[in-house]
Amino acid sequence: MMMLEHEGKRLLASAGVPVPDGTLISARDSIASAARTIAAFPVAAKAQVRSGGRGKQGGVRRVEAAGDFERTVAALFDTAYGGERPEAVLIEPWLAIERESYLSVAVDGRAEGYVVLYSPTGGVDIEDGPPPARYEVGAPWNFRVHALRKVLQEVESDYQWREKVVALAQRLVRIAATHDCSTIEINPLAKLADGSLVAADAKVARDEWAHFRNAEIRALREAEQRRGDELLRASLEMGHMYVRLDGDIALISGGAGMTMAAMDMIAEQGGRPACFLDASPGPTSTRGYRPALAMLDADPQVKVILVSVFGGGTQMQRVASSMKELMAERKSKKPMVFRLDGTNVDQVPAILGEFGAHNHARLEDAVAEAVRLAGTHA
Amino acid sequence: MSILLDRSNRVLIQGATGQMGTFFVEDARKYGTKIVAGVSPGREGTTVGGDVPVFASVRTAREETGADTAIVFVPPAAVLGATIEAIEAGCRLVVATADELPVLDTIEIRAAARANGTAFVGPNSPGLISPGKAKLGFMPSFCYREGSVGVISRSGSLSYEGAKRLTLAGIGQSTVIGIGGDPVKGTTAAEALALFHDDPETSAVLYLGEIGGSEEIFVAEYAARADAKPVAALIVGHTAPPGKKMGHAAALIGSKAEGHEAKIAMLRAAGVHIADGVGNVVSATQQALASSKTRGARVA
Repeated sequence: MMMLEHEGKRLLASAGVPVPDGTLISARDSIASAARTIAAFPVAAKAQVRSGGRGKQGGVRRVEAAGDFERTVAALFDTAYGGERPEAVLIEPWLAIERESYLSVAVDGRAEGYVVLYSPTGGVDIEDGPPPARYEVGAPWNFRVHALRKVLQEVESDYQWREKVVALAQRLVRIAATHDCSTIEINPLAKLADGSLVAADAKVARDEWAHFRNAEIRALREAEQRRGDELLRASLEMGHMYVRLDGDIALISGGAGMTMAAMDMIAEQGGRPACFLDASPGPTSTRGYRPALAMLDADPQVKVILVSVFGGGTQMQRVASSMKELMAERKSKKPMVFRLDGTNVDQVPAILGEFGAHNHARLEDAVAEAVRLAGTHA
Repeated sequence: MSILLDRSNRVLIQGATGQMGTFFVEDARKYGTKIVAGVSPGREGTTVGGDVPVFASVRTAREETGADTAIVFVPPAAVLGATIEAIEAGCRLVVATADELPVLDTIEIRAAARANGTAFVGPNSPGLISPGKAKLGFMPSFCYREGSVGVISRSGSLSYEGAKRLTLAGIGQSTVIGIGGDPVKGTTAAEALALFHDDPETSAVLYLGEIGGSEEIFVAEYAARADAKPVAALIVGHTAPPGKKMGHAAALIGSKAEGHEAKIAMLRAAGVHIADGVGNVVSATQQALASSKTRGARVA
């Protein structure tokens, strides 16, 4: 789960990483009172959003003088960056940056743990440049200063700067392991005129599954759920994984791989998936499926709902019975298509038959039916 | 043969007295899995599934029953402790199906498994099954039959679907292993491929992958080897938008290399038989099997 820049910087600062001394404006109507606390100009005004590419979209502004401040900050609050309106604006002194580098620590499958990435030139165009130098740490306790130094010697000739970067990377790996961070990215990592190092930006992602041992992560999860509308919130509270897409055939599915396989097949057959909705982490009961169905029924973009579940530990006669109960209480007339398979599937056709539904034996047939229905309900 | 699991494994269940553990004992025994012990601290002296004795620790369970394989059904917060206990007690195979495990815990378990020479499968995985022999997980038994195709899957439900299609087409499997949907894995695709490579009963491999991550690089590397067994692959998620996590923590397109198109191009260039969609896994596997016959003839 991505933290906002100011949240990530607070975490880094608490562990001794130098960050600019910032002021947070957390609501549009407190701009004026914040303006009075700023001692010196120019400052950087930075929109607090989670999506990437903020700098390229004008989400960071230089404010030259007190007279421009309120108008510039208000404009940041009023603009969406990557579809996201800022929750806050961070004000920092404008740094006299001598050079910009890139440093990140992230979980990486190939490294069987963490990897450190460094590029001598950072900034907004990092993704277009050559790939960064890579040091595979693995388990965090295997970080070795000399091993990273050896990797950086190939790409960084300024030895004083290199030593600062190595020390910072060591600290970042420690922070990541202590606070369950899956990514800490500092871009730019700024070198100031006096040679000192400062994290001018910070993207910190936390591992949501560490919620049971970390109050901050628990709070982030709760905040994420609150950001959705009421219907989505109810679905997320059941543990469902949901990503909205731009089509009209909604999926209630089980398992990430099968959900994507069904999405792909909808597209192959000429239809358009309306969402990725994996309901398997939640209770596979009437209570579990109810909010998912309510959300999709209320979504005007959705024309057809395809229920596609292939269960192992999930017993399919229970899923079928839940669907039967939900159909009895449902008001919406949106057509539904079923393809249930897996443990105890032999009991499914009879249960679905009780409310006049058919269970497709093959995913191909269920998808074809959903695509046909989406076409006729245009 | 098969990989990691056959009729010889003597299985102990950690968290045996919970709902999942109880269901598993019944279902897996019916399939032929030798379940010899449960471990549930505080419940020692009782039994599960009628006659399986429950012990307080893995070490005692091993001493009393000769158990050599552990499957873990405890809540996410307890998985780290339970798996490391099984690894350090000397189990040769440890399976953790749990999802919602912090990645740092997986990193630590993997390191402990390596240090002790233990095979670790999971997390966020359906487990594994060697059809006709034994199963360690909740996969629906009717989807499988014994045979010579090794299956590796990043997704549980997709492995059921893929195996069922093979079985209906008369293609049996040596072992179907769920390597899990998390970025750090107990057993990686590369490691599972190495095991299938050394298994004389496996003549081809079906790999079921997803967008995101770098696992497929190693599948391509293996397939490009001169002595490789033929590989078929399905990569799901060509309709997934970049930058969004598709359920699995690792199913996120962060860069172009992690997208569907790049992965397919890389696998195809390595000689992998590509299934365009889940509907084509049978034909892609048949192509792989056919090429294994010609390869075999060449070698002979």
